[in-house]
Amino acid sequence: MPVRHLIVGGGTAGMNAMRTIREEEREPSEITLVSAERPYSRMVLPYYLDRSIAESHVFTATAANLDRWKVKRLIGRRAASLDVKANVCTLDDGTRVEYDDCLIATGSSAARAPVPGAEGRGVHSFWTLDEARRVLDSVIPGSHVVMVGAGFISFTILNSILSLGAKLTVVELAPRILPRMIDATGAELVEGWLKAHGVTVRTNVKLAKIEDAKDRKRLKFSAGPDLLADVVVMATGIRTNLDWLKGSGVEVQQGIVVDEHLRSNVANVYAAGDVAQGRDLISGETAVHAIEPTAQEHGRVVGANMAGRDVRYRGSLIINIVEVCHLDAASFGAWDDGKAEAMTGLKKDRNAYRKLLFTGERLTGAIIIGRSNDIWTTNDVGMLKGLVQSGQPLGRYQEHLRRDPFDVKTAFIAAKTTSALLPETVLGRPSKAPGDSPVAV
Amino acid sequence: MNVLKLTPERCTGCLRCEIACSYVQTGAYQPAKSVIRVSPFEGHTSYAPYTCTQCAEGWCMTACPVGAITINGAGAKDVVDDLCVGCKLCTIACPYGTMFYDTSTRKAFKCNLCGGDPACAHACPTAAIEYEDTATSDWIGDFARERMSYVLALEGAR
Repeated sequence: MPVRHLIVGGGTAGMNAMRTIREEEREPSEITLVSAERPYSRMVLPYYLDRSIAESHVFTATAANLDRWKVKRLIGRRAASLDVKANVCTLDDGTRVEYDDCLIATGSSAARAPVPGAEGRGVHSFWTLDEARRVLDSVIPGSHVVMVGAGFISFTILNSILSLGAKLTVVELAPRILPRMIDATGAELVEGWLKAHGVTVRTNVKLAKIEDAKDRKRLKFSAGPDLLADVVVMATGIRTNLDWLKGSGVEVQQGIVVDEHLRSNVANVYAAGDVAQGRDLISGETAVHAIEPTAQEHGRVVGANMAGRDVRYRGSLIINIVEVCHLDAASFGAWDDGKAEAMTGLKKDRNAYRKLLFTGERLTGAIIIGRSNDIWTTNDVGMLKGLVQSGQPLGRYQEHLRRDPFDVKTAFIAAKTTSALLPETVLGRPSKAPGDSPVAV
Repeated sequence: MNVLKLTPERCTGCLRCEIACSYVQTGAYQPAKSVIRVSPFEGHTSYAPYTCTQCAEGWCMTACPVGAITINGAGAKDVVDDLCVGCKLCTIACPYGTMFYDTSTRKAFKCNLCGGDPACAHACPTAAIEYEDTATSDWIGDFARERMSYVLALEGAR
């Protein structure tokens, strides 16, 4: 009897797992996909919101692709419980799916600030395609949009909202913007840039309630003046979709704790993406890295292991980039590690900032901020990732970088980082093009 | 597969490769749009070209959330313009710094080996860039390490 793989969740992790199973397996197997939504890419929703792509562009698999992959689909259903002794997953409509091994990749949902009115009409999250549709339907030229939360998600749609002709105010509970992506110096630079580009930013404010005000919304804060908004977007964090696993025996801390093969404490139950608490490449500890590249790498490693290979995962690296009003900000790895040695460079007149964090001779974290035209002319953003990823010792080039944190390119090349990187692959073999085993249309 | 074999000792820093590359890739004679970049070493007395190695992992390709990076007939990782939305994930996933982003088209671009007939190799007058069937390599690391000694010594002397 062919092996029965169950994939719970049709996001990046689940899609990459299914694709890799088909790439790696020696014997044909059965794949069943349970997904609450039709598979699409969350990463590209900001481009759907600014109307630069059609809605059809967001989907990551056509029916024809999934037919070619021989995936049995249970779309529009949610997993309700998992019986790890009987190897059965029960869905919200009572359907029972038996499996030999199972991947849990149910992702996250948007969490709203727990204030009165947060769930009311005119208040939106921006996480799923449905939520993106609702925001797109609500924002018209001249709308005053208030975004609650100044984190990464909020910033990924900032340009889109401005390009729809809206007036934008961002409010944040923390004393500064992007608290989980860049440091205070970087945040000050980005905040100044936003204000200079007509975005109102209020930090250190606690939302108390949201009320109806005729056709508009009134936001009340624990201190300071109210705000009147046409549209409210809550980007106040995400939470993992793991409630359904309660009592299953699968160990959950911040996420499902997984080993280097991305197996949970139950040997035939894997986890990947936002729900997985796996190895962090830099610290070696386990952590939840709710970012697209981690979901992709996790998914592929799980797929290979489900297909019978023995692939160990080195660990995931936090990488983020966001552009607001033609200012790019990116960070890598342990950019907020207080124990690391920090080398910084700030060129206020050029809105340029760099922070390089060293642990011994190795770069273990980095922040880079600059005007888009400058960033993409220098084009060493990826090299920062390469230095952190490879852990290549920088030796005497470390002193060079201390003198000039902007001259990363020379240090990267002369430290022979390319030599260290070339043998690195996630699956221990060259990657295949998406068209050869389509994950995307 | 054929790869761009770089011999930095032969590079004179003339930038013909960048000009040819930018013309073939974007239609403009503009080194700023080139996906091969010549870096100066030894206080601008020696130079080395640097471009995508077409690495086995293809970090750009595996990272792309919409499958917009594929492998073309020459075996090069290639951006499909119509699919690229400009999210820049590839630019931070590529650990070599050889993904580029065009702020005017809002799309990523990279070395695609000109589909198998690379303009930079044609344009190089000293064969510092050759297109050969060989394994890809860190072509310029040793050269750069050696030539950086001069700069580092100067910095140390200050």
